[in-house]
Amino acid sequence: MRTFRATIVKELLELRRDRAGLMVLLAMPMALVLIVSLVQDNVMQATGDTAIRVLFVDEDHGRLASSLAERLRAERGLELVESAADAPLTRAAAQAAVRRGAYQFLLVAAPGTTDAFVAGVEDQIVAAFGAAPDETPGPGAALPAPAPAVKGLTLYVDPAVQASLRTAVAGALHHVLIGLELREKSETLAKVLPQRIRAAVADMLPPADGRRAAGSPDPLAAVTPPDIRFSLSPEPLLGLTEAAAVDGPAPMRPTAAQQNVPAWALFGMFFIVVPLSGTIIRERDSGTFRRLMAMPISPAGLLTGKIAAYVIVCVAQCALMLAVGWAILPLLGTSGLVVPLAQWPGVALTAVVAAAAATGFGLLVGTIARSQEQASMFGAVAVVIAAALGGIMVPQYVMPRSMHAISAWSPLAWGLNAFQDIFVRGGSALTAAGWLLRLAGFAALTIGAAVLVLRRRQAGE
Amino acid sequence: MTAAAPAAAAPGILAVRGLVKTYAGSTVPAVNGLDFSVQAGEIFGLLGPNGAGKTTAISVCCTLLRPTAGTAVLCGIDTARRPAEARRQFGLAPQDVALYPTLTALENLRYFGRLYGLAGPRLEQRIGECLAEVGLADSGDKRVAAFSGGMKRRANLAAAILHAPRVLFLDEPTAGVDAQSRNVIFGHLEALRRGGTTIVYTTHYMEEAEQLCDRVAIMDHGVVVADGPPRELIARFDGCASLEEAFLRLTGTHLRD
Repeated sequence: MRTFRATIVKELLELRRDRAGLMVLLAMPMALVLIVSLVQDNVMQATGDTAIRVLFVDEDHGRLASSLAERLRAERGLELVESAADAPLTRAAAQAAVRRGAYQFLLVAAPGTTDAFVAGVEDQIVAAFGAAPDETPGPGAALPAPAPAVKGLTLYVDPAVQASLRTAVAGALHHVLIGLELREKSETLAKVLPQRIRAAVADMLPPADGRRAAGSPDPLAAVTPPDIRFSLSPEPLLGLTEAAAVDGPAPMRPTAAQQNVPAWALFGMFFIVVPLSGTIIRERDSGTFRRLMAMPISPAGLLTGKIAAYVIVCVAQCALMLAVGWAILPLLGTSGLVVPLAQWPGVALTAVVAAAAATGFGLLVGTIARSQEQASMFGAVAVVIAAALGGIMVPQYVMPRSMHAISAWSPLAWGLNAFQDIFVRGGSALTAAGWLLRLAGFAALTIGAAVLVLRRRQAGE
Repeated sequence: MTAAAPAAAAPGILAVRGLVKTYAGSTVPAVNGLDFSVQAGEIFGLLGPNGAGKTTAISVCCTLLRPTAGTAVLCGIDTARRPAEARRQFGLAPQDVALYPTLTALENLRYFGRLYGLAGPRLEQRIGECLAEVGLADSGDKRVAAFSGGMKRRANLAAAILHAPRVLFLDEPTAGVDAQSRNVIFGHLEALRRGGTTIVYTTHYMEEAEQLCDRVAIMDHGVVVADGPPRELIARFDGCASLEEAFLRLTGTHLRD
């Protein structure tokens, strides 16, 4: 026990003196969490949570462009930009802004779009009743040929825009356009329908004496066509309810902070491999390890003391990163990390187990590596690869199927899944138990392997 | 020499018999049937050119390596069979400065002292004594990284004697130190011998061995080629005026890289 206690104190003292090491361990991961969360927050907002800015140039000045602009202004996901420096936008200026990446979307309504649209709708409605007023299509009649699409609206897209964002904006525009088209068609129908009824009735009514005298007035001329009001709402009738796929009460909607802060905290924790392997190699190279091994102490006490010190540092590191998510991110105008009190035990347990896994890995790298350079290069690159595989950088579900099997073996994936079970899916340590057991197994395996290598080295085998 | 050599026939506080150590992947043993013994209270020099097997022999005696064959018995304890017990009997000052450079001398000694089971006032007292003995009483608060080469060597020695071991292994304790520091180290080793500590000492400096050691064993190719008090070894060769000359007669003048 004395070896364990003395080693913890010594390791923490050494770490405190190593300012560069402390920067790597604490400041850099905190900066990483902060920056990545802010960047990712923008991405998440851009792909659904806040309005996307769309330039709008109205060269049409007609009813359609006006209604379109009105509807788009009312769309929650879009922010219409129609002027620059208090002057209406021109097509050339707007296109230049998109080309240089200042804006990602530009919608242009070309001159004559409204006229073409109105004419197209009328043609469609008239065609729907038949080519001529007395040619109402009966059952089995061929459908009228579709009217040519009106080509007056163009959406210019910055090529650098992500496909998902492009799809989202195009989808929102289509939604608005379908509504406008539906309303225009319903209003045109309301105008055409009475004329068609009148024509049909005239055809059906015989003259009063079987033959109307020449020059006598048409009896239908005195009949006023019925005033049919018919205007369909452009709003959809069928709604879609979104629900979280979890057992029990639905958790809050996950924010960028809920997703990113634990993920990047985990990434930072695994970087403990660099200073830990470095200290092991320094001990070996300086002869300190030789001195320690010749002392009447338990190697297990020495090793567990070292592990405990680094687990403490790792957990402190994780706590700091979570604190950044909780306290600092909201100050910078983004959503902060929210952890209900009931979830803290699960978060704490996950942090400790992940810290043990990271420390075990660092211990093994430090034991196997022949030099500081080898350890820091291999350790850092291995962590980045494990993070990429583990879904820290790109979610696992968007990876190719072939990568899923490999991804399932990344300790960072286990840690991330455990954290997401708690932070995003509203679970607990019990829900995440499977991932935590895997992480604990990894810690045991790496520590065991390190001990084995040390023993073999000690015996000079 | 300041004391008469004890009788060579006595079993000794350290007895190495038929020691063989072959490293994994090597076909040539680093030590090959090594025999020597060290008497209680003497300073014993283990000399030899590079690659002679000195550090391997010390490593086996210090329980850092398991022998392929043979035994090293320290204070009556077989170091291979009962390493934990053997470790309580000796202190080791490795060839490198085996201290934590970012910690102060005091912090280093406090850590190693605690590992030796010292605590409280006894630990602080021993730290004070050891630092004073190696001339570092005023430098305890300085980080080891800021020490000169000589100060580091002296601190390295202090860490090895904290627990007042019966046997002290010194692996080239004066490598790269100035004359002043060497003088302090020698003075301290003399004091330790007077206090009854047995010292096993490896060095490349023949003058040092001649001045300090009661007996020396000259190793080459993993075996002892000659042993005895330095003056006796010098006397064995006609025209030899120093231990260095005797050493070169025994081990040859060709380079050992």
